[in-house]
Amino acid sequence: MKSAPFVMHQATSQEEVLDLLDQLGEDARILAGGQTLVPVLAMRVASPDHLIDINKVAELNRFEVINGALQVGAGVRQAELEAWSDLYQVQPLLQMMFPWIAHAPIRNRGTICGSIAHADPSAELVLALAVLEGSVILRSKKKKRIVKASDFFLGALQTSRQPNELIEAVQFPIQSNDVGYGFSEYGYRHGDFAVVAVAAIKKGERWTIGFGGIDDIVRIHQFHAGTLEQAKTLIDELASDIEVREDPTATSGFRRHLMRKLGARACLQAMEVKRDLVR
Amino acid sequence: MKNHSVNVTLNGMQREAQCESRTTLLDFIRHDLGATGTHAGCEHGVCGACTVEVDGQIVRSCLMFACQANGARIKTVEGVGNSDGMSDLQRAFKKHHALQCGFCTPGFLMSAEDLLRKNPSPTETDVREGLSGNLCRCTGYVGIVEAVLEVAKTRAEANGEMHA
Repeated sequence: MKSAPFVMHQATSQEEVLDLLDQLGEDARILAGGQTLVPVLAMRVASPDHLIDINKVAELNRFEVINGALQVGAGVRQAELEAWSDLYQVQPLLQMMFPWIAHAPIRNRGTICGSIAHADPSAELVLALAVLEGSVILRSKKKKRIVKASDFFLGALQTSRQPNELIEAVQFPIQSNDVGYGFSEYGYRHGDFAVVAVAAIKKGERWTIGFGGIDDIVRIHQFHAGTLEQAKTLIDELASDIEVREDPTATSGFRRHLMRKLGARACLQAMEVKRDLVR
Repeated sequence: MKNHSVNVTLNGMQREAQCESRTTLLDFIRHDLGATGTHAGCEHGVCGACTVEVDGQIVRSCLMFACQANGARIKTVEGVGNSDGMSDLQRAFKKHHALQCGFCTPGFLMSAEDLLRKNPSPTETDVREGLSGNLCRCTGYVGIVEAVLEVAKTRAEANGEMHA
């Protein structure tokens, strides 16, 4: 399989990337890690005339803790953030998720922002951004805007990014130390797409639960529960009530079952795991 | 149009060739540089047969364009053995029947070497998870896992003797 011919632009500065996006718009795609885009090109699901390679744009290749959030630039690779020694302290949910994101050689190239740009509703990083109520920094030649995850993800593989905009960075808000996190996923093979993935965040008796893989976008639910049993009961009810996708990989019944089981595991983990215990 | 001039160090040798924008690193290594040890399997990042090392990190060579590798150090399965013959890992693969048709083997060797570098004393679960990005349709993986575990053990023993 080969991609259709295209013109490759190997940009060396963000300014150059924005100029190219301004000129080329819908005819161009940003190439970061390429772990999703290159298969899409190879299978000719897309055949853009131009690719703008941002791998050599140094200013996009950094992550930092700023304004109470972990801000990750467009060039930062998943393996790079995974290897950061402070990750568990700063953003425990991401550390729990990384081993589930594809395989080591994919994470060596794949970027955080690339996964967000692709907006696959079963992707772990999409779930993380949604459940942490993070945001996406979009920049065009003329302006910069910060879009909340809930306004950014419009559907499966659909986002509110405009053709002339670059995802400059994404922000994962950092919570206080007493917040508990849990994550649980089921896939058919280690590293495969999630059939269902569940993330749980516990702030005292306030819970935020995110479900990936059950619909066209990540579904977020919030409730109050004082005990694990109460939380499990509420998740059981949710799993019965809400709309759940059915496709050749899993029936909606199986997905509802996974929501209950994985939801219970994620909640248990969120009650047990405290960040300061690990350090 | 072959409008990119790509310069790489392939297994320690400087190599240069012209290629198109859309040429993957995999096709560049095989067709333009003639190093056919790296195998083209699924060509969309699922099977792991094309795994190579680029600047010390293993990547799927089908998911990277050759022009992005300009100036990089690349190691393929041809660089695994030495002038005396096969590496210890390759010998262990042979001993444990870790290959039958051999199509997936170049990718497995690259992934297994990377795994052992990062985790010199892996458990069976570590090996199975570490190699989960590579598909083998012949062996059922048992021999591959045994080979990697044996090499981890013999390397650890050899290291122990050196330090003793």
